Amino acid sequence: MLARIAHDLYWLGRHLVRAEHTARMLDGLFHADLQGRPDDPASVTLSWESLLVIMGAGEVDGPARRDDVVRLLTTDVDNPVSIVSCVNAAREGARTLRDTISAEMWESVNTFELQLAHRDLHAGLRAGPYSIYSFVKERSALFWGLTGRTMQKDDARAFLQAGGRLEAADMVLRMLRVALPPNPSPDGQETPETPRRDGNALALLRAVGGFQAFMRSAAAPPNAAPVARFMLYEREFPDSVAASVMSLDDALERVEAEAQDSPPVLRVRRMLADLDFRARVAPEPESVIPALRPIQQELERLDRDIHDRYFHPSAVVAQTVTE
Amino acid sequence: MSTGAEHVTESDYAPAPGFFDELFEAPGRPRAPASGLVGSLTRLGRDRLRSAGERRDAIFVQQGITFDASTPEGPTRDRPFPLDLVPRILPADEWRTIKRGLAQRVRALNYFVEDVYHGQEIVREGIVPWQLVLTRSNFERAAHGIRPPGGVWCHVSGCDLVRDADGRWKVLEDNVRTPSGISYVLENRIAMSRLLPELFAGYNVRPVSNYPALLLNALQAAAPAGGENPVVVVWTPGAANSAYFEHAFLARQMGVELVEASDLVVRDGLCYMRTTRGLAQVDSIYRRIDDAFMDPLEFRPDSLLGVPGLMGVYRAGNVAIANAVGTGVADDKAIYHYVPEMIRFYIGEQPILDNLPTWLLADPEQRAYALEHMHELVVKPTGESGGKGVFIGPHATEEQLDDQRTLVEQAPERWIAQQTVALSTVPTALPDGSLAPRHVDLRPFAIYGDEIKIIPGGLTRVALREGSMIVNSSQGGGSKDTWVLADGQGDAALADGGGLAPPALPGMRQAGWRGQEQQQQQQQQQGRG
Repeated sequence: MLARIAHDLYWLGRHLVRAEHTARMLDGLFHADLQGRPDDPASVTLSWESLLVIMGAGEVDGPARRDDVVRLLTTDVDNPVSIVSCVNAAREGARTLRDTISAEMWESVNTFELQLAHRDLHAGLRAGPYSIYSFVKERSALFWGLTGRTMQKDDARAFLQAGGRLEAADMVLRMLRVALPPNPSPDGQETPETPRRDGNALALLRAVGGFQAFMRSAAAPPNAAPVARFMLYEREFPDSVAASVMSLDDALERVEAEAQDSPPVLRVRRMLADLDFRARVAPEPESVIPALRPIQQELERLDRDIHDRYFHPSAVVAQTVTE
Repeated sequence: MSTGAEHVTESDYAPAPGFFDELFEAPGRPRAPASGLVGSLTRLGRDRLRSAGERRDAIFVQQGITFDASTPEGPTRDRPFPLDLVPRILPADEWRTIKRGLAQRVRALNYFVEDVYHGQEIVREGIVPWQLVLTRSNFERAAHGIRPPGGVWCHVSGCDLVRDADGRWKVLEDNVRTPSGISYVLENRIAMSRLLPELFAGYNVRPVSNYPALLLNALQAAAPAGGENPVVVVWTPGAANSAYFEHAFLARQMGVELVEASDLVVRDGLCYMRTTRGLAQVDSIYRRIDDAFMDPLEFRPDSLLGVPGLMGVYRAGNVAIANAVGTGVADDKAIYHYVPEMIRFYIGEQPILDNLPTWLLADPEQRAYALEHMHELVVKPTGESGGKGVFIGPHATEEQLDDQRTLVEQAPERWIAQQTVALSTVPTALPDGSLAPRHVDLRPFAIYGDEIKIIPGGLTRVALREGSMIVNSSQGGGSKDTWVLADGQGDAALADGGGLAPPALPGMRQAGWRGQEQQQQQQQQQGRG
């Protein structure tokens, strides 16, 4: 398939998943934040400044107010990572993909953007952002449901999936870093099991819709470390990092003619093995949080590999002339 | 529902005096082929027509079938394409004449392009002046001596037809470069059958949906010989182009890639597209981009939309380009004047469809007449399309007339003048659901593959403003579904399904289970007993 189209599909997937996960994170954390009491060990304590930094949305002068952060990440059209910007970018990208994705998928993206644009988002935010976030979640679910139902399982779908899953892994890592910041104790050692982060972990779990899955599968209370392990390594939970990387591997295998020489395929398989290894050899909870950074860096390199291999015009004449 | 809404359409509608109305011969008297349609519209009533219009807009916006236009209030984005809900009817015998006339015309234009770039026989016979051909802005020296496969140059063409006050069909202009509008023909039909299926009752409307298949066949047939499965692509200037929707539509319908210039690359005398698995060879390009932008090495060096080296590949016969490079010379409006003579010269037949009376302003005598009568003529630039630069005399002020006279005198060879036509009207639904006459034209589409095929009907454009004759969608025009009626309309044999119906759907076969059910009942009864 055309390199340009593959690139646009990949980014359609990324933008939609980014919008959805941003909505999930803000929804979960916003509501947790409302309920918390400073003296409650299970309450939620967040630094809204660090949230902005981790989301790559730049910094604000002085301490960030919650409402400013929420607005910046939800409705700010000048901020390229806000939900509205992501949905706009997804729709603009989908315009050129109308002959590639199914008509119903295009319509779902199109109406997503149109309806979002017609809502009074600022009034919505003032009234409580829940309705906006649940709308974003519903429209994303509709799009991916239609993808599963109406799109040919071909290279095009694989690139869409690759973009979506890479973004999901990346966003879940960012969410973990927001909820569970490394917290050095006075002697310089990490003390991950501080009670104050358990509330954050629970909020995160609810934000990704994984509370029931966690309770059914993990034999542990929803505290910081078990939740982080679950979100990182649990292959059976669809939004975990490990599940997303597995899904990426499937997608790349589909589009790759020569897997044994392909940098992205080799890297994604190394990542899978690495996640597996970490999950097995380091059962103690402290090891989870320091692992977030290297995994995220590896994802970034994988993204670059994918761009270099599939989206940059190559001078080599393809072996397969027709797709 | 408001009172009195039931009987609006038939009794309220009055054809505009002085124009040919295609559905009504007199107030309250529908023409014979339209009587069923008028009956259906009357039964629908104003309210349901209006609500169908609202549903139409919602559906088009949802599906993104929209365009950007300039309105008196300024440019607007994402407006739903204005499909009028009253279809236009072309009876079978009338269509047969149009179809034969068009095929004849397209064949002659194709001969002409071939001739211009080879023997120039029509010039040597003294029919078309060589000086005129050479000065056409779309004459391409680069096409000289090229022989496209099968001798087909104009793979896709669309002629604009109008009906005068007496109902006679006339050719207004020929489009043999990249005529657009076919996607709306197909989408309109789908939309109409969803919005107002009851209008189709009693009519046998010829389908239009096979256009993409015909186009793909023609493009494959044009591919250089030798390939097993020729790779066809649609080449668009990009998503910013006003016809991008159509480009994507055609690529999707044909199941081929929609490429932009950055996707194509020339290597070792072949044309390739950049894919995720490297370069893949391209055999046939349906381009929706003008000659001048195709290859910066050959044409405009500033073109960012072109593929360097493409003309070399084309000239070597290693890639087909449709329409062929240089066909624009035949849709020049000064060349249009000579089409009837081309038909006589190349085919030896009398033209079936007439031209409108046209004055070539390069000719001193004709120019003198046109300058004097400019207030009753339409003046058009020869090398443009899409209504660009058209000057309408009867609507102009004295000052504008003078300005136009100056323009013509500066470069008379770049202008022609045409008689104004009293365009025919068709009843058109207003936003409130009532009907009023509005002016229309017709652009049928022809595909030249192994032979010339004309899609039944074509794009009917309608001027939505009262009295306006400007049908361009960029200037407030809309479109209508165009029905060509099949031969033997109303024939019982056609309605029957021709014995091809499958057997009736079976019902659930319960006999076997009934036995078990009864057994169960018996067992229960015995248990109780």
